[in-house]
Amino acid sequence: MVSQKITVTNEQGMHMRPASVFSQAMTPFASTVKINFNGNTYDAKSVMMLMSACIKCGAEIEVECDGADEQDALKKAIELIESGLGD
Amino acid sequence: MYNGIAASRGIGIGSICVIAEHELKYEAKKIEDTESEQKRFNEAIEKFKVETSEMAEDIRKRIGPKEAEILEGHLVMISDPTMAGEMSKMIAAGQCAESAVEAVCDMFIGMFSKMEDELMQQRASDIGDIKVSLLKILLGIEDIDISKVAPGTVLVARDLTPSMTSQIVKENVVGIITEVGGKTSHSAILARALEIPAVLSVPDITTIVKDKDTAIVDGTEGCVYINPEGDILSGYIIKREEFIKKQAELKKFFGKETVTADGVGVELFCNIGTPKDAKKAVECDGEGIGLFRSEFLFMDNNHMPSEDEQFAAYREAAETMGGKSVIIRTLDIGGDKDIPYLNMKKEENPFLGYRAVRYCLGNRDSYMIQLRAIVRASAYGKVKIMVPLVTCVEEIRAVKEMVSGIKDDFDEQGIAYDKDIEVGCMIETPSASLIADLLAKEADFFSIGTNDLTQYTMSVDRGNADVAYLYSTFQPSVLRSIRQIIEAGRNAGITVGMCGEAAADPLMIPLLLSFGLNEFSVNPVLVLTARCIISKWSKEEADALTEKVMALSTEAEIVAALKEASKE
Repeated sequence: MVSQKITVTNEQGMHMRPASVFSQAMTPFASTVKINFNGNTYDAKSVMMLMSACIKCGAEIEVECDGADEQDALKKAIELIESGLGD
Repeated sequence: MYNGIAASRGIGIGSICVIAEHELKYEAKKIEDTESEQKRFNEAIEKFKVETSEMAEDIRKRIGPKEAEILEGHLVMISDPTMAGEMSKMIAAGQCAESAVEAVCDMFIGMFSKMEDELMQQRASDIGDIKVSLLKILLGIEDIDISKVAPGTVLVARDLTPSMTSQIVKENVVGIITEVGGKTSHSAILARALEIPAVLSVPDITTIVKDKDTAIVDGTEGCVYINPEGDILSGYIIKREEFIKKQAELKKFFGKETVTADGVGVELFCNIGTPKDAKKAVECDGEGIGLFRSEFLFMDNNHMPSEDEQFAAYREAAETMGGKSVIIRTLDIGGDKDIPYLNMKKEENPFLGYRAVRYCLGNRDSYMIQLRAIVRASAYGKVKIMVPLVTCVEEIRAVKEMVSGIKDDFDEQGIAYDKDIEVGCMIETPSASLIADLLAKEADFFSIGTNDLTQYTMSVDRGNADVAYLYSTFQPSVLRSIRQIIEAGRNAGITVGMCGEAAADPLMIPLLLSFGLNEFSVNPVLVLTARCIISKWSKEEADALTEKVMALSTEAEIVAALKEASKE
C-alpha cells in the first residue's frame, strides 16, 4: 500500500466536474484508490462518494492506493490533483 | 402581485400553462423473482441513459455546451458504481426497483442537501431529478410534451426538470414561473441561456393559477402578476418594449471601444471576486479588471492561503485577461469583513480600526506572502497591486518598499516577474482625498472606492437605517472630493480609475467624464450599459452639466438636475 498527502488547489474543490474527472481517471486501475479526509475514508472511484466528502479548495487530503498497480495509480492521482483536476 | 427570485431578466406577458406533476405512486412489495426485477431495473437505467444523452445532445446544439453539462452530470452520477450498485444490492435483497431507486436517491439527497454549499445543494436537486426520471420510466409515465405549447405561453411548474427545459421552444415560451429553485438552479441557468424571463421560488404558484390565466413575469424585479388590471398590463407592455429595444441597442456595443460622443476614449474594466469571474468579464466584453477583490481566497478557507495557492489564483486571472490590466486589491479585511482563523480582536469601532492596509502592515509576514504571490503572477499578464484604505503617505511607501524587496529577492532567485509592476492607492478615505497630490507622487495609479469614500466623508454608517438617508455619492462634499482626487491624479500624470458602484451609475457618468476619469470599473453585467451611456455624452455637454451641478447646494437638487439631463 502506498499513500501521499496533498493539498487540493483547484478553486471549486471536489465538485461535480473535478470529482468526475478524478474518479474516471482512477477507475481503470486495478488497485483500490481511497481518499482520507477529515477522519473519513472515501472511495475515489465513486464520484458520489468524492462529492459527499465536501473537499474544498485548500483542503489537505491523503490519497491511498493498494494493489498491483498502486505506484502508477498514486502517481496519476497526484498529477491530476496538482494540475487542478481539469478545473 | 407575487414575489419570487429574479432568475432571468426581461418581461414576459402571456397565457399560463400549468405543468401538472404526476403522482409517482407504487406499491412497495417484496420481490420473489429478483432476477427479472434486476432486468427490469437495468432496462430502466439503459433507457434513462439513452434519453438523457439525447437530451444533452439536443441542449448542446440548441443552447450550448455549458448548459448540456447539467445532463451530462446526471449521466456521470447514474453510471457511478455506488449509485446503481447500491440500488442493485437492494433489489437482490428482494426490494422492488422503485423503492430501491427512491431509497438510494433519498440517501444521497439527504447527504448533499445538508452541506452548506450551494453547488452541493444543487447536486441534491440533480439527484432528485434523476429519481423522478427513473421512477417515471419504471412506472411507464410519459411526460407532457412542452415542445407543443402554443406561442405566448407562460410555463408554471413546481420545478422545471432539465428534461422539461430541454423541450422548451424559445419562440413559444415567453415566461417561466416555478415554486422552487434559486439563481443558480438549472431552470435559472437554462432560462437565462434561452433569454426567457423567469421568476423562481414563488410559493404555491401552481395552486394559485389555472390554465389560460394571463400572467406578467417580471424577471428583472422578480415579481409576477396574475390576471393583472388593465393599467398594470398596459404599463408592462410598454416596459417590455423598452426592455427589448434596450437589449438590442446594448448588443450593438459588444466588441466596440468605449468612447464618448466626441471620440474621447476611456477604459471600461470589471470588478471581480474570484479568478473564475475573469472569464465572465471577458464574456461581458470588459477591457480589463479594475478591482480583483482578493478576500475570497481568505474567506472561503479555513487556513491562511499559501503563496502557491494565491499565485495560482492571481495567475489564472492574469492569463484569462490575456495581457489586459488586472488590478489586484490586497487583503481588505476588518471593518465588516471578518476571517475567523485570523482571530482578529472585536473592536468598538471596526470601520475606524485595524483594517485593510493597517492590518497588513501590522502582519507583514502574511502580507509578504500575498505580495510575493502577486508579483510572481505579474509574469503572466499585466498585473497591478492596489493598496486599500490608504490614509497617509507612509503606508504606500511601506508597501512599495516591500515590493521592491521582493523584486530584489526574485532577481537573486531567478524568479520571473514584470519589472514595471505598478503599485497604486485605493482612494477611499477623506484623508487620502485631501492629500491626493502627495499620494500621487508615490503611487503609480489611483482607484477611487466610492462606497467607503461616501461612508467616511459623510460620517454615516449605511447599515443604520436612521442615518442611511445621508449616504449618497451625490452629496456635494463627496462629489467635490471625487473631483479633486481626479484632478490631483491628472496633474501628476497618473491614471485615475473608479471601482465603486458609482462608476456604473448613469447619473454619475457625465460628471466622471467631465472630471476626467480615465478608467471605469463596473460589475461585468453592466459593461455594455456603461459603454452605451458613455457613448451618449460629449465632453462639452458633460462639462456644461457638471458646471451647473457642482454649483448646487444639496444632494436633492443635484440628483434632480442629473435626472433631468439623463440620457438613459
